[in-house]
Amino acid sequence: MNLEKVISGFFIILALTMNFGFFYGDPTVLEEHSRYELFAAIIINLIATIYKLGDKTQLGAVLLATSLVADIQLIGAASIWALGEYVTGMNTEVVVAIISFSGGALLANIVSVILFTGDVLKSKR
Amino acid sequence: MGNNSLFLIIKRMRTPMFVLVITFAISILGMVLIPGVDDQGKPYHLSFFDAFYFVSYMATTIGFGESPYAFTYPQKLWVGFCIYLTVIGWFYAIGSIVSLVQDKVLAAQIALANFQRKIRKMEEPFIIFVGYNTMTRQIIDRLAHNGIRSVVIEKNEEKVKALSLEDYAIEVPALVGDVRDPKVFKIAGIHKHNCRAVVSLFNDDVMNLHVALSAKLMNKHVMVVVEATQDEYGQNLSTIGADVVENPFKIVAKRVYLSLTSPSLLMIEQWLYGDPLVLRKKDRLPREGKYIVCGYGRMGTALEVGLRRAGIDYIFIEASPEKAAKARSGEKVIVGDADDKKILLKADIQEASCIIAATKDDLLNLSIIMAAKRINPDIYTIARENRMTDAVVFQAAKIDRVIMLESLMINKTYNVLARPLADRFIRLMAYRGEEWGEKVVKLLKEHINNNPETMETVIDEDHAYALSRLLREDGERTIPYNILYRRRDDWRLENRMLVLYIRRGEEEMLLPDPAMPIHLGDEVLLAGTKEAFEDVEYILENIYELHYVMQGSEHELSLARKLGFEE
Repeated sequence: MNLEKVISGFFIILALTMNFGFFYGDPTVLEEHSRYELFAAIIINLIATIYKLGDKTQLGAVLLATSLVADIQLIGAASIWALGEYVTGMNTEVVVAIISFSGGALLANIVSVILFTGDVLKSKR
Repeated sequence: MGNNSLFLIIKRMRTPMFVLVITFAISILGMVLIPGVDDQGKPYHLSFFDAFYFVSYMATTIGFGESPYAFTYPQKLWVGFCIYLTVIGWFYAIGSIVSLVQDKVLAAQIALANFQRKIRKMEEPFIIFVGYNTMTRQIIDRLAHNGIRSVVIEKNEEKVKALSLEDYAIEVPALVGDVRDPKVFKIAGIHKHNCRAVVSLFNDDVMNLHVALSAKLMNKHVMVVVEATQDEYGQNLSTIGADVVENPFKIVAKRVYLSLTSPSLLMIEQWLYGDPLVLRKKDRLPREGKYIVCGYGRMGTALEVGLRRAGIDYIFIEASPEKAAKARSGEKVIVGDADDKKILLKADIQEASCIIAATKDDLLNLSIIMAAKRINPDIYTIARENRMTDAVVFQAAKIDRVIMLESLMINKTYNVLARPLADRFIRLMAYRGEEWGEKVVKLLKEHINNNPETMETVIDEDHAYALSRLLREDGERTIPYNILYRRRDDWRLENRMLVLYIRRGEEEMLLPDPAMPIHLGDEVLLAGTKEAFEDVEYILENIYELHYVMQGSEHELSLARKLGFEE
């Protein structure tokens, strides 16, 4: 058992589950989506990204790319939220944009987890 | 920046980034969770945006104050904790960046990436020098003045730093690396089609052999120029295909031989190496009497061949009995210190006409000369100077002839690289004998002046646009070499110049008849004045000038052609 693998696997999967937790619910009703969960998703995604840095392999590069996509999507969602709350005012359009952004991040996280598990399955140990 | 340096940065920045994210997350979360009081006294919670905004300026020690409302004591307690947490995290990250900038590994990676970029962008032909020392420095300098680019591979980082301070006419990229690693050659661009030559002038023959071998294996089309002071290495080098093997001692021996048998050939040789075309009185070695050669090492054995061929009576003095034992039977070798008066007397110094101090120790050479002069003030003195830094002392010693090995090597290598025809001319003329040499010297002096310049060119599109175009358009036409002699201001007059040598494929012509027709692809060595060469260049490149000197009239062209409507 490799401790490094445990930690990086933990953060990669936690990033996906957190992301899903925020995404799940009616996309037009903001009350069904917790702001704390979005915050946690962003932090966990950032940590997962840092764990993927510095891996020179092909797989490492693709994993890093998916993570960066998820980061951008989630930070985008948070920015839209702040914009809606303080500048334009909350309406259904803004709420849907927040949730769909996090949905995009969810897809990237799913790809990341698939690649990660694929790599684990490929190795014979 | 190359891939490697980027990865190095990312890897080093992982932990600081991790620390930064964690501390920010903890602080922001705490700020959001702890309730505050707004200006109307009602409780409220900071939004995530407020908290992020506040923590961002707090952590970076910018500090805009408490926002959006003044903090309560529970909030202040948390902020007090966060200040230390985030500021430490932030400083740690900045400290890591600063130390990364100063990191030697990273600096080396960046320097390597820069070097690779320069090599990649280099379009013009270049020469790779292995090892940077006083010799290569001067060669590079002279090549740079002639517009030939150089690349240096040097093991010692200090020397590369010294190189970067040097003020060359063209930039000289340098790489810190050991040539024993084949990767280094590859990085230096040996595979590139415009890599002309690899030059290795180490004092160590083994090293030179190594360089030649790996260079030839990596690119067999590249010219390899190496120094070899011992015959066995010289032979090995020729076998593996080194194009030019330079032995400074052989050059010395040849010069001694030439000055004894055919001084005018020596004069031409020295002139082509960059000296004036004169033979001073003190350049003439005494032809009678005995020669004493001190040192039976590499130079001594080379001199032995030269002196024997010239029919001179000679004797050796050698300090090391082992070296003396290597002498062939019948050779006279005295074992002893050459600066010892008794030994010199044993070698009949009173009767000798010339003494050659040829050891590898400059101080010993000087003291030999001093000792010899004290006994026999009329003796002709020749001393070997190993290091150029000793030049001042040698000058002060009033020695008739100082043989500077390093400057010989510099001139020879420069000729091989930048003036290959002159180098070839020197080799060919050795078979012609004194009479021929005298003729050439007379011709040069009467026809041109006491110290002519030389010029090398190729009759092709790049060097002789007008002439090669004319030759190509009209295949039947023969244009003799003497049109190059004509002057641009009056075609009936001739410039002071001479065609010394033409190479046409395998065919080689020394002092050809000027009426000979010019062929495309001819390589020509000319001697003449600077003004003459200027005219030659115009005639070769410019169709109007060419037309004028050929026909004696201005080039008549239709207006359409002048304006470029017709080709």
